[in-house]
Amino acid sequence: MIRKLLTALPLAVAFAMPVAAEDFPDRSLRIVHGFGAGGNADTVSRIIAEEMSKSLGQPVVVESRPGAGGTVASGYVSKEDPDGYTMQLMVGGHAVAAALYNSLPYESVDGFTFISTLGQFPFMVAARSGEYASMEALIEAAKASPGSIKIGHSGVGSTQHLTGELLALRTGAEFLHIPYKGGAAASTALMGGEVDVVIDTGTVIRPQADAGVYDILAITSGQRWPDAPDLPTVAETVAPDFDVVSWTGIGMPAGVPTEISDKVRGAVHAALATPAVSDKIASLGAKPSPSTGEEMTNLIAGQIAVWTDVIATAGIDKR
Amino acid sequence: MLDQFLLGLSVVLQPTVLIYAFFGVFLGQLIGVLPGVGAITAISLLLPVTFYLDATTSMILLAGIYYGSQYGGSIASILMNLPGTPSSVVTCLEGYPLAQSNRAGLALFVAAFSSFVGGMVGVAILVLAAIPMTIIALKFGAPEYAMLVILGLLAASMIGTGSQIRSFAMVVLGIALGLVGADATTGYYRFVALPELADGISLVSLAMGLFGVSEIIRNASKRRPANAPHLSISMRDVIPTREQARSLGMPILRGSSIGSFFGALPGTGAAIASFMAYAMERRFSRSPEKFGKGHLPGLAAPESANNAASQTGFIPTLTLGVPGDAVMALIVGALILNGIIPGPRLMVDQPDLFWGVIASFFVGNIILLLINIPLIKLWVLLLRIPYQKLYPIIVVMICVGVYSHRTSVTDVVLTLAFGILGYLMKNYRFEPAPVLLGFVLGPLLEDNFRRTMLLYGGDFSVFVTRPISAVLVAGSVFLIGFAIFSSVSNRNKSNRATT
Repeated sequence: MIRKLLTALPLAVAFAMPVAAEDFPDRSLRIVHGFGAGGNADTVSRIIAEEMSKSLGQPVVVESRPGAGGTVASGYVSKEDPDGYTMQLMVGGHAVAAALYNSLPYESVDGFTFISTLGQFPFMVAARSGEYASMEALIEAAKASPGSIKIGHSGVGSTQHLTGELLALRTGAEFLHIPYKGGAAASTALMGGEVDVVIDTGTVIRPQADAGVYDILAITSGQRWPDAPDLPTVAETVAPDFDVVSWTGIGMPAGVPTEISDKVRGAVHAALATPAVSDKIASLGAKPSPSTGEEMTNLIAGQIAVWTDVIATAGIDKR
Repeated sequence: MLDQFLLGLSVVLQPTVLIYAFFGVFLGQLIGVLPGVGAITAISLLLPVTFYLDATTSMILLAGIYYGSQYGGSIASILMNLPGTPSSVVTCLEGYPLAQSNRAGLALFVAAFSSFVGGMVGVAILVLAAIPMTIIALKFGAPEYAMLVILGLLAASMIGTGSQIRSFAMVVLGIALGLVGADATTGYYRFVALPELADGISLVSLAMGLFGVSEIIRNASKRRPANAPHLSISMRDVIPTREQARSLGMPILRGSSIGSFFGALPGTGAAIASFMAYAMERRFSRSPEKFGKGHLPGLAAPESANNAASQTGFIPTLTLGVPGDAVMALIVGALILNGIIPGPRLMVDQPDLFWGVIASFFVGNIILLLINIPLIKLWVLLLRIPYQKLYPIIVVMICVGVYSHRTSVTDVVLTLAFGILGYLMKNYRFEPAPVLLGFVLGPLLEDNFRRTMLLYGGDFSVFVTRPISAVLVAGSVFLIGFAIFSSVSNRNKSNRATT
């Protein structure tokens, strides 16, 4: 018995050795994200983790490291081993943070191996039902009395806020931007009449629009959104080339071997192809959007450039 | 209304749903007892479970954890001076002295019963007046919130048992601590000495430190640690006398009304409600000198208030689909996982869900009362554990609880630091409750005041030209006037007595 074990030992050691790509993964993986449990990022992480663990044959654990707009988590992940076992669920805020913070404890683009985007979603420009006939009417009213129309947003430096500032820059209209703590609070203020417009995601806006409380004046994506083809875009109404889409995606620390990142990308894309995942992502108002690593890198780099410009022009305090 | 409520009851009384309702409130109760582990942590741990349940059942389960933890929170506050939630801070003020004078069982009974009545009043308001309450809540804009907070802070400065100046200083300390973190109006970082403080000081670590840890240090530093008194736990000592019961009727009623109202305002909720209820009892009591030493009405009013608030807190979530606070956001998250995005049409499109959840509150409160009364004896027995064994366990539990909140070691270290601060404060007769109130309300005041200034171009007159705001201003003026009047008349009285 003991002899048998002894002969088996070198074999066992060989199996435990790190790590050719075909052995990956031989233990549990984790998805870190930078937001509170139960938020959008957490929900998406759990949805994707469940399917990925099926195809990779190892548990995928979701870990929340909240703080400072997700930058705590990004700083943490960028310093982890690039062995493929640590993933980060990133959101559009990753690009915003790169533009907004004076110093970050990581390189926003070069510090990561980007795997794939998961979902992309537009923002919606909403007003109380009947207030403005169209997006053009809103901009006209804003130009007629500059600074009188109030846009509520979900927090200074949020993508929602920057989208409102970008709208002002591109149309030449002047708005009063009012910060709230989160989209729900901004939406309550719109209902109560404290602000005139809210720009936020479909999960915040659409239930109210379906109930006839809000009109959706326009959608911020460059093209009409497949899920809601009747909604005009900002680009076709008041600001040509206007294109703001936020996203969720998977990143890893920089330096993950290509074979391993390819394998993870395969698992992500396979998960996105299942109805369990794609339906849930769609119910969060997003379009499932598998991508290559390069596409995701370009998306982020492009957004960093846009937001850096908006923050400088609108005079938002960097932090 | 009644038909629909009966429809809801028929949903809840299905055996499987009932089991989850029971499981939810029971778990919430247990979680609430654990120091530092709040409803948020518990609900987020259980969120994945909702993958396997339908929307109604998951919502009943998660909501049960939430209001169950309000019951549980008062147990730890009474027995060990450990407020699990900001709203149970006030419970410590009268509950803990009662426990120390060997009346823990009575305190637990009164807390459970007041919680039950408060919860039931909250449910009744939810059934009968959800829509009108929603309309009122929507009338509360930034100016109203700002004035409401001022009224709350004024009421709070009357909470302290010692001198008003001392308690005022502590409110200011709390406000100062609340300044740490990103400024909501500009996003600018204030006093962020450590990167972990970018989102501010954690309320849990402040409350656990100032109340729980400081009390442990204080007891440990006594030459001969006060060992557990000989405890009598016969049922006779647990149930209030007829005279005591009579004195509790009005406080519970007042507490429930205050709680029902504040709960329905998104973002204020149970904490303000319980502080206001306590301050009100104390201000208008015939024997204010009894407060702070284990006065039953001072326990009953805030307990009923925070439970009423935790029920009416569901009003904006259910009628508008707008979650009022972090816990509600989590519960809404569970609905979204189930493919239901809550909005104003929830009541019409999903009547089973809407009324089922409300009916589950009704059933859940009854279950909570039924499991709480027999458990009182068990909880009191906890106090028989010798302190040298109990305290290390509690300290470990506090550390785990605080860490689990934001997975931050800094928070744990800060908790211990606040414990030392709390110990020093107690030695110099400064009280911790006003610190917490300032900490919770300060940022709310700043936020809404500055938002008002932004919205109305710096015009102060909005505070008196908007009707609700004007009423609140009048309330504050009245409180100040009352305080001046009563201190002057007291001085006259004492002058007359000495001459």
